[in-house]
Amino acid sequence: MRYFRHRDAAAAVVLVAASLLAGCAAPAPEQPPPADSPYRPVASIREVMNSVIDPSADVVWLSVGTDIDHGRQTDRVPANDEKWAEVRRHALIVSEAANLLMMHNRPVAPPGAPSLAPGVELTPEEIRSLIDKNPPAWNLFAQQLQEAMKPALAAIDAKDSEALFAAGEKIDTTCENCHQVFWYPNAGAPAR
Amino acid sequence: MKTKILLVVLGAGALWAVQPAQAHHAFAAEYDEKKPVTLTGIVTKMEWVNPHGWLFMDVKQPDGKVKRWTIETSGPSQLSRRGLKKADFTDGMSAVVKGYQGVKDPAFANGRTLVLADGRSFYIGSVGGPNDGADR
Repeated sequence: MRYFRHRDAAAAVVLVAASLLAGCAAPAPEQPPPADSPYRPVASIREVMNSVIDPSADVVWLSVGTDIDHGRQTDRVPANDEKWAEVRRHALIVSEAANLLMMHNRPVAPPGAPSLAPGVELTPEEIRSLIDKNPPAWNLFAQQLQEAMKPALAAIDAKDSEALFAAGEKIDTTCENCHQVFWYPNAGAPAR
Repeated sequence: MKTKILLVVLGAGALWAVQPAQAHHAFAAEYDEKKPVTLTGIVTKMEWVNPHGWLFMDVKQPDGKVKRWTIETSGPSQLSRRGLKKADFTDGMSAVVKGYQGVKDPAFANGRTLVLADGRSFYIGSVGGPNDGADR
């Protein structure tokens, strides 16, 4: 029970890592975008994460919970229909932004951008290489994000703050599972 | 009127400044594994929110001044599963937090263990933290 989330995360990471290894042994066939693809990416994956997904996910996460100030508990709940609608807009943004991540020709970061934490987080080139080795694994994580958003959307529609709070943990676990494979697979160095 | 606008802008800036960072990053990108800290003080606030909880603690420094620490914890559902409850955060409670100091902000820390005044100890660490045995 104590390690529930770690087990879930570990299982997902192992699953995708195995998939990546399989991808290394037999590279996934390249699937170039159709020549007449109408998509024209403007932002990089990093920018989509920082400008679209993360800020909107924060609105969803932080809309519910409890502040305990000097022992006094105050629940966070969207105060009215308008506030619930605002949270729903951001939940939809995260859900649909997952599709942006799956677009074939989106760069990982702006040209020349370095790792934001060298030695801990991979460089954009290393991330690109991992994605290109196994696009289905990358897409699977993006689709899992969409799946994780479904209970959140249902909770919002039902104005059920407890269900939205519970969904928040699953969204975070989904994010973390992908990050541990594609962003900082070498993090978590032993301290002893 | 200009003064009022300036005050509003300054106020917004102050709010922004005290808001904990929410963006995802690897543990080692935000916290220094080589800077373990043991904080003994008074818990003033706990934000029981996803994706991480935030513990605010006043810690008296050797010079007598009080320093406000902001401590990241694991998600609240995990804290609940480990036995920690919202009701454990009472007014004026003293506690000891062990963790690691922030890389960019020395008043930030990633919490690993929380020991309450009654002696109960809880693992409050996040996924991806160092393998220091705190979770055992």
